[in-house]
Amino acid sequence: MAWANFIPELSMLTAVAVFLAMACLPPHSRRNYWAALVLSGLSVVLSVTHLSSQGVLFNNAYQVDLYSQLFKALLSIGFFLVVFLCRELKGVALHRHSECYLLLSISTLAMMVLVSSVHLLAIYVALELSGYSLYVLVFLRREERWGLNAGFKYFMVGICASAIMLFGLALIYGATGELVLKDLAQLPSPMMTHAMVVAGVLMTLGGFFFKLAVFPFHFWAPDAYEGAPNQVAAFISTASKVAAVAVLVRVVAAFQGMEAILPKGLIIVAIVSMTVGNLAAIGQKDFKRLMAFSSIAHAGYLLLGILCMSFQGYAGSMFYVAAVLVMKLTCFMVMIKVAQDGRNLQIKELAGLHQRSPLLALALMMALFGLAGIPPTIGFAGKLLIFKAAIDKGYLLLVVIAMINVVISLYYYLQVLKAAYLDSAPEDQPVLTLSFPDRMLAILLVGVIVAVGFYPAPLLELVYAAARGLP
Amino acid sequence: MMMDVHYATFPYLTSLLLCCGVGLLAILLTPAGRTGVIKWISAVFSGLTLVIAIYLYVAYDQSAGGFQFAERVAWIPELGISYFNAADGFGLPMLLLTGIVFFTAVLTMWELEYRVKEFFALIFLLVSGVFGLFMSMDLFFIFVWFDVSLFPMYLLIAIWGSTRKEYGAMKLTLYLLAGSALILPAIIYLVVSASLQTFDLPTLMQADLLTPHQQRLAFLMLYIGFGILAGVFPFHTWSPVGHVAAPTAVSMIHAGVLMKIGAFGVLRVGIFLCPQGWHYWAQLMAVLATCGIIYGALVGLRQTDLKYVIGYSSVSHMGIVGLGLSTLTLDGVNGAVFQMFAHGIMTALFFSSVGHIYDKTHTKAIADLGGLSRTMPRAATFFIIAALTGIGVPCLASFWGELVVFLSCVRVYPVRGALAIGGLVISALFMLRVVQKTCYGPPMERFADLPDVSLAMTAPRMILVSVIVLFGLVPGWLFDMINTATVELFK
Repeated sequence: MAWANFIPELSMLTAVAVFLAMACLPPHSRRNYWAALVLSGLSVVLSVTHLSSQGVLFNNAYQVDLYSQLFKALLSIGFFLVVFLCRELKGVALHRHSECYLLLSISTLAMMVLVSSVHLLAIYVALELSGYSLYVLVFLRREERWGLNAGFKYFMVGICASAIMLFGLALIYGATGELVLKDLAQLPSPMMTHAMVVAGVLMTLGGFFFKLAVFPFHFWAPDAYEGAPNQVAAFISTASKVAAVAVLVRVVAAFQGMEAILPKGLIIVAIVSMTVGNLAAIGQKDFKRLMAFSSIAHAGYLLLGILCMSFQGYAGSMFYVAAVLVMKLTCFMVMIKVAQDGRNLQIKELAGLHQRSPLLALALMMALFGLAGIPPTIGFAGKLLIFKAAIDKGYLLLVVIAMINVVISLYYYLQVLKAAYLDSAPEDQPVLTLSFPDRMLAILLVGVIVAVGFYPAPLLELVYAAARGLP
Repeated sequence: MMMDVHYATFPYLTSLLLCCGVGLLAILLTPAGRTGVIKWISAVFSGLTLVIAIYLYVAYDQSAGGFQFAERVAWIPELGISYFNAADGFGLPMLLLTGIVFFTAVLTMWELEYRVKEFFALIFLLVSGVFGLFMSMDLFFIFVWFDVSLFPMYLLIAIWGSTRKEYGAMKLTLYLLAGSALILPAIIYLVVSASLQTFDLPTLMQADLLTPHQQRLAFLMLYIGFGILAGVFPFHTWSPVGHVAAPTAVSMIHAGVLMKIGAFGVLRVGIFLCPQGWHYWAQLMAVLATCGIIYGALVGLRQTDLKYVIGYSSVSHMGIVGLGLSTLTLDGVNGAVFQMFAHGIMTALFFSSVGHIYDKTHTKAIADLGGLSRTMPRAATFFIIAALTGIGVPCLASFWGELVVFLSCVRVYPVRGALAIGGLVISALFMLRVVQKTCYGPPMERFADLPDVSLAMTAPRMILVSVIVLFGLVPGWLFDMINTATVELFK
């Protein structure tokens, strides 16, 4: 049954169709929200229950395996959580709400296709499809001066990255005549080290680097995060990163023959990304800009796992991106709940959070410690896997540099924590009351951050099994 | 080197951690307004940990030696990580120390009124990390517990502290985390180099798994990484600042127990796994330790703040631990571990009496205090006993640690040993000077009506004093225990 392999995508496609129909109806915030919640919840259930699907579709261009299904599950979870946070979608005008859900689901669908694509052109098409929905999503911001500025910058960097990637694909195809990853993986070794192929691969990776906000394609991130509606920024910093890591790992794994060359380039990119991200984050006053720079730094850690070019490294990056998904979403949840009118949250506005809502303050603390990689959190388990893979390959110095970066990052995370726990709230700030589902979500996220951090074995076995299946 | 591992019939060590975990949960579930209940919960559960720690100390079979009360569960099989706890002659004194300081610190904070629930919750979290580290036999868990015991410090100091608390908290956290930035790569490097796919400490201790070169590199990283926490010169600058800023109980736990974690980490991970690295870097360790002893004493001499004096005396006294470890002799290591224990109890007493003085007078400036022996006789008495212990007066615990370390040091490094003893004389000088200026002389009139330590609140301090005297009179109880582990180390 070929269709059975396609169920997560089909569920997302259904969501797209429903939202398209709803976009034609008069705006109704509540109805849109509940429809989105039910549909995204359904897709989580369907992707998680179809983890073990196997198959190759569409003339070897589309592979369904544990690796792709795991990422589809992560994507649908990310989508579900972002939709969950859309209850007060104040950053987007009411009549655009259904469009917002439509574009989010199209983007998720495209990413699901992306993680299964094993043909470079299919990858390119899926990447563009998800990218274009995101450009429009950033434009949806109610205050146009934010949205236009951010969306435009995002779009310009995006199309430049696409152009470079397309050129890289042309080089690869010109040199080898192949576009299917499986065939490319079997190229003879002189071909692998051919200048044209190496240049082509590096340029192709540029397209993924843009998604992941890796240096030198990171310039869009702070502005796009700042200008986008909060929920969209949450989506860009989580689901979009998951998809980028998925495709990056798949492509790098296919070029295993370049083990002597590829890491050299990636090492520089990784070090610069983490250092630039962390140093730039230090002075930030806007919480979303801080998150953007920390995303750039995290992209550097993720690359550290990928550049090991071993299945342990790939597994480490997969684990870590799942961790980033949970931790970043927790941060964004706190931000969205504190800035209920959809404004941009300044860090100093977090003052007195421990009085206004102890639960949110706790969630923020665990998420920040997770992002800083302090045990026992899920972020530490991810970093441990990546660092172990890197030292296995002899990159001891690189790991020390990454750890120094972790210490730098701790400084600005502690600044946020200081605002939330130490500073007292201005007199007129009301107590934040969370609805029952919101409280449950906060407890669930904190629980996942701590529990998986303390006992990572089940998730670890899953990503190891998935990474072993790569070519 | 291969140590015997005796498995336990009952998970005593885990129950020690469970006491902290259950206590933490109970505190979290109590409404924040019920401060009395929270304090009683804290006292009961911290008391329980002390009882278990004492039981373990007594029940340890010294004739058999090795690792006892071991318990083990596979944790992350893919990476060779297991939940593996055991106690030996090094770990048990530290567990006992932690139990004593934890219990007395909780009692000392009985009068706390501000954000009580969060305070005790964070203390429990911190101490569970400390207990975990002292009993863990798995490198992964050692690192996890290490960080668990560090990160509550930021909030504890920044919320409940005094003098420049935010600066002190940030400096302390960043310094200590910079240490873990070296420890984590070093630990992974050791595991990868041994190529046994295990984080298990006793397995990794087998000889010739690691080349001398690997041992040297890893030992240096571990020594600096853990050494920052142990206040090794020149990485000590966080320590006086942090101690001064921290609230009383946190200073007690921090100087009493957390700094020991650093020295213990050097011993447990560095020396156990990289003996050749230890031999290679011993000269450097001795030099830094001597510098620390003299520098701490000299700087302490010039301080005007009471807590700074104790902070620098800690740097000086932890230098003695480092000096003992650097001698590469059986006596030196014995003395170092003894000194860790004695110094822990002593600084806890120090900070708890200074804490009382500061709470009542709202000043820590030595010049503003005077004649405390008349206005607050009990507080002054405890302070003087702590100061005498610090100086190393015979019949008090520190004496034996310092004596043994210096005897073995003079034998191995005569010049550095002589210099270090000189440093000790200076530290005696400044301790006596502080005692004279604060406790004697004309009493300050504005402090005349301030309450002394209440009878109930003398209890935690009396416990500390009696431990100091007990091990000062019968040092053999501690030395015999430590010796069981040291003998195996030198086999």
